[in-house]
Amino acid sequence: MSQQYCHNKGMISCRNLTRRFGEFTAVDDLTFEVAAGAICAFLGPNGAGKSTTVKMLTGLLPPSSGEVEVYGIDVESDPLELKRRIGVLPEDLGLFDDLTVEEHLLLTGSVYGVERHETRSRTSQLLHALSLEHGRHTFAASCSHGMRKKTAFAMALLPNPRVLFLDEPFEAIDPVTSRIMRGLLESVSRRGVTVFLTSHILSVVEQIATQLIMIRKGKIVWDSPIADLPQALEEHYFDLVEAPVVEELEWLGSARS
Amino acid sequence: MARVGAILRALALAYRRDQKSLESVAGNNFFIVSALLLQSAGGFIYLIVGLVLLFPLSTDPLRKIPASRLALWPIERREHWLLRIVSPWINPVSWAIAGLAVWAARGKVTFGLWGLAAGLFAVGFLLSDLSFISTQTVWRLIPHFPGPLNQLIRKNLREMLSTLDLYCALLLSLSALVYRTMRLALPPEGFLAITVLIVLALSSYAQCLFGLDGAGGLGRYRLLPLRGWQVLAAKDAAFLLVAIPLTLPLAPLAATGAALVALALGHEPSVARPRKQTRWRFSSGASLVFGIFQAVMMTMAAAGIFFSSPLVLIPCVGAWALSVWHYGRVMERLFAD
Repeated sequence: MSQQYCHNKGMISCRNLTRRFGEFTAVDDLTFEVAAGAICAFLGPNGAGKSTTVKMLTGLLPPSSGEVEVYGIDVESDPLELKRRIGVLPEDLGLFDDLTVEEHLLLTGSVYGVERHETRSRTSQLLHALSLEHGRHTFAASCSHGMRKKTAFAMALLPNPRVLFLDEPFEAIDPVTSRIMRGLLESVSRRGVTVFLTSHILSVVEQIATQLIMIRKGKIVWDSPIADLPQALEEHYFDLVEAPVVEELEWLGSARS
Repeated sequence: MARVGAILRALALAYRRDQKSLESVAGNNFFIVSALLLQSAGGFIYLIVGLVLLFPLSTDPLRKIPASRLALWPIERREHWLLRIVSPWINPVSWAIAGLAVWAARGKVTFGLWGLAAGLFAVGFLLSDLSFISTQTVWRLIPHFPGPLNQLIRKNLREMLSTLDLYCALLLSLSALVYRTMRLALPPEGFLAITVLIVLALSSYAQCLFGLDGAGGLGRYRLLPLRGWQVLAAKDAAFLLVAIPLTLPLAPLAATGAALVALALGHEPSVARPRKQTRWRFSSGASLVFGIFQAVMMTMAAAGIFFSSPLVLIPCVGAWALSVWHYGRVMERLFAD
């Protein structure tokens, strides 16, 4: 099936992508491309339009205008085929309270058409790699936030997708798992898998990203390979996106309650 | 007290926003029908059923506050109890029921009976306050099913097992089983009546099939490369896997017809107007009117199969298949928007 889709150009390609909610424009005329094997970090402050963009790129939200192609698939015209080709770690993680960690992975394998034996093998490897073995029989409702995030991350990887969309993958993750996840992402990108991620942890982004896109109020303010950054990422981010203003709140910590 | 007042005001606001029309008055088919049946047994029993079960367990306003948030607020124990006691009265239906109780019981009820009613009322709310009951060991015993929807069906069965509807149906089924085992005479109409009651006990759940999936689960459905009809079929398979075995001692064919009709009609509110549910409560259907319509159609289907011919099952299957196909497409459209 994959042969019918051409992907000579960018694996993720969007032109004039816009999303409005009533009068409010959440994403404003975004145009960018992400090449095969790139790890693209999509940065911006809370409410800048990152998650809205990810939802449009993954077919979860129709754009108000503009075009999106992922892996050569028009996101709006063939959403089912798109879902088969991509792996997504959504903002809300998308887990069922009534399934265990392991059952989530087995479910993923079966609905993505991975053979049962292969699904079991990949499940064991992912559980081991992400230190989830001890909690494999724990129901999602009883998992810690970190475990839930690791489960959703493993679900994104299990079908061996060509493009990965990860919404804040490193937040609420312990340092060891974070390092393992970074390693996995670097490894898949070397094999040609495209990774598109959002994050607020700039130190991690600086280490793994090959491309940076920064947005502010729904508009792109920077798009370049990471090597082209003129200064350290954090400083550049503060300069372009949002400078921190630390205000003194006199009542905070004072004797009065 | 100021804290409790502030919380109650916020709760009343949230509750009012959820009560904009008759459609939002929660109802459970089993209790609607039970209430009608019990009327002949005396108004007071009807009121107790309403007070103790329907409102505390299905439409408790205090549930609008997330348990984690309630636990974080600096509320003293007595304030928590005050909230527990006062919050039900935010629901105008509670006032209506109480008014009815006073009216129905005037001059007939002793202080002792009033005390019993008050006690049952309190127990109802205490039950409503119970946190999630640990059942993980039992949940793991759910069998596997062939096909790619295996884990979804298992999950859906677990969701059904965490509603009180199922245990109500189970109680009826066990009673019927005991009755038959003891070879007690039961007229044929009795078989049908209890069969319909069992499926009715489950039917409100058919109106809110996605009510226990939570935001995360609903988000995952959108990500999975499945067609809408497959997601609905996994839900329906779980429903039928519960409904049919429970009616085996009675009239399983009639039950299958009634269950298929319940599902065929229930797809519309489940997909188009999803209603969030809470575990270990009775399911709260789309509306009173819809519940009565669903109950009537189910009874007609079951009676047709039972008294006329098993062939009546064919249009039931047809209606169900058409509903799965249609609302599967509706679901896909909703997912795309």
